[in-house]
Amino acid sequence: MPFIVLDHVSKTYQSNGATTCVLSDVTQHVQEGEFVCLMGPSGSGKSTLLAILGAMSHPSQGRLLIDGIDVYDLADEARADFRREYLGFVFQQHHLMPYLTAVENVMLPLAVLRSPGGYKRQRAMEALYRVGLADKAARLPGQLSGGEQGRLAIARALVNDPPLLLADEPTGALDTHTGSQIMEVLLELGRQGRTVFIVTHNPESAALADRTIHIRDGRIQPPGAAGPGSADSRPSARLIGAPLS
Amino acid sequence: MRIRTLAIANLKRRKGKAAFLAAGIALGIGTVVALLGLSGSIRREIGTQLDQFGANIVVVPKSDSLALNYGGVSVSSVALDVQDLTGADARDIRDIPYGNRLSVVAPKLLGSVEIEGRRVLLAGVDFASELQLKRWWRITGDAPQAEHEVLVGYEVAVALGLVQDAAPAAAHQGHGAHASPPGAAHDAGLELRRDRLDIAGAQYRVSGVIAPTAGPEDRMIFASLPHVQALLGKPDQLSLIEISALCKDCPVGDIVAQISTRVPHAKASAVQQTVRAREQAVDRLARFSAAVSGVVLAIGALLIFTTMTGAVMERTREIGVLRALGFRKRHIVVGLMIEVGLISLLGGLVGWGAGTLTSWAALPWFAQTDSAMEFHPWLMPAALGAALLIGVASSLYPIFRAARLDPTQALRAI
Repeated sequence: MPFIVLDHVSKTYQSNGATTCVLSDVTQHVQEGEFVCLMGPSGSGKSTLLAILGAMSHPSQGRLLIDGIDVYDLADEARADFRREYLGFVFQQHHLMPYLTAVENVMLPLAVLRSPGGYKRQRAMEALYRVGLADKAARLPGQLSGGEQGRLAIARALVNDPPLLLADEPTGALDTHTGSQIMEVLLELGRQGRTVFIVTHNPESAALADRTIHIRDGRIQPPGAAGPGSADSRPSARLIGAPLS
Repeated sequence: MRIRTLAIANLKRRKGKAAFLAAGIALGIGTVVALLGLSGSIRREIGTQLDQFGANIVVVPKSDSLALNYGGVSVSSVALDVQDLTGADARDIRDIPYGNRLSVVAPKLLGSVEIEGRRVLLAGVDFASELQLKRWWRITGDAPQAEHEVLVGYEVAVALGLVQDAAPAAAHQGHGAHASPPGAAHDAGLELRRDRLDIAGAQYRVSGVIAPTAGPEDRMIFASLPHVQALLGKPDQLSLIEISALCKDCPVGDIVAQISTRVPHAKASAVQQTVRAREQAVDRLARFSAAVSGVVLAIGALLIFTTMTGAVMERTREIGVLRALGFRKRHIVVGLMIEVGLISLLGGLVGWGAGTLTSWAALPWFAQTDSAMEFHPWLMPAALGAALLIGVASSLYPIFRAARLDPTQALRAI
């Protein structure tokens, strides 16, 4: 069974009496360990789809299954627990807490657990080590470079060892070199068997993925529809799943 | 890292805003503490002054017959076939457990005598205690000093031609006499025509005339207690004992009960008019203090509500991130509650300290009392509890609104 099942998912918003359809009948399967890129122009519905995948935005229609769990069938509090246990989220702006040190930022998802403080710190240090920031654990985010902040955000997303990593344009605000570093970290996580789903504008980043999904006007584009130079047309060594028509 | 660690880190980060909020709570709690301290001291002073003003307990021989009206106040019954009160009873009353609360014990013997062809009520009193009790008396002349000196009520004095009837003017002065200094005998402006009286065949000097009081003393003559006891042939006997009790910390009912136990053949009664007047005066002040405290706390609560609403709005993104990271609504509520709780406790502690100091410093301006501020050990926990209650209650709406934030909407608010 696919790790992620998006089953006829639609999302509409009501505004001033008008109904706006942001996502229309999206059906996709993503296999466990697959590295998937979602590309599309601004306003195409990328962030909305990522929010739905992140168990944060209830779809107007359809359902989302992750690891066989109907995510939006869960009560609100159970869905919060699900986010903590199954998902790691990397935001475009990183959204680090500027008043917490690097290790404290990484420990944030563990704050609600009853585990001993020493254990949480050890887990956080391990996550920092994986992204190469163990030596900067005591620094505040403001004392880190843009790339280091990105890696710190990834460490925070990893600390719970979630099976699914979601990233919203993780290289969008970074220069090419730093963006490449971040992508390398994400790819490494993918190579380790973690399912990674990223939203990106960058074709070079998308080219590194197992599969690229194109979205336009809230609809998933068929493979090849994005043109001959598009990422999804390139061969991928890790292509496991394929979109449903 | 726990939720409380995050809350404390947040407070440290927003020191200025936390201090502002704590200052608002401290101001409200401090005002209430100061108000309670001051009003408590003022209430005690009013109570003490009222206690010292006239009798609030009357002791008479136990009886179930004739009603006795004294001073316009129904105090008890009197009968002819019951055991009289004696001087020993008056001394015993001083020995009750609350004896230190009795500021004045004024024994009396009442009897009817004929003076120049008129029947007049003669009262034997201990002038020292009587004048201390009847502070509203205004006397033309002096208080009796010698055995054969008497004090004459106004109506008797007019009837016997001791003074000219000047009732309207004198009565007016009499009504204003309540402000007389304690124990002072003032000249009431009456002109004494003669100062000699023949009572039961003996000559007495009229040392003074009491200005009209509209009370029974207008129709009485007062002489020294031992002399009247001898004159009436009732050595050591008493008709009644008037008592002024200081009821600062004890209910007058307890004193009455103790007197009844100590002198079982007597009936002790609280003069309800006096007790109720005291209670009303004290209660009015208490209600006023409570009302002002309520207004101050309401303003404080509004301040906290506004500040917390602003603080939560500022942190919309942060709350969205925490929700996205798997914080439950309850975790958000707990974190914000810890912040508000800590700020409230700090504000309560500072407010209690400031309020106590303020009331201590301001007491001499509000109350003419030499007594020191009383320290109430319960006031600090009460202040902390009130601060916590107000802080948390005022923050409930913004906090729950924050917890209800949809994480996507919160993140979109970037």
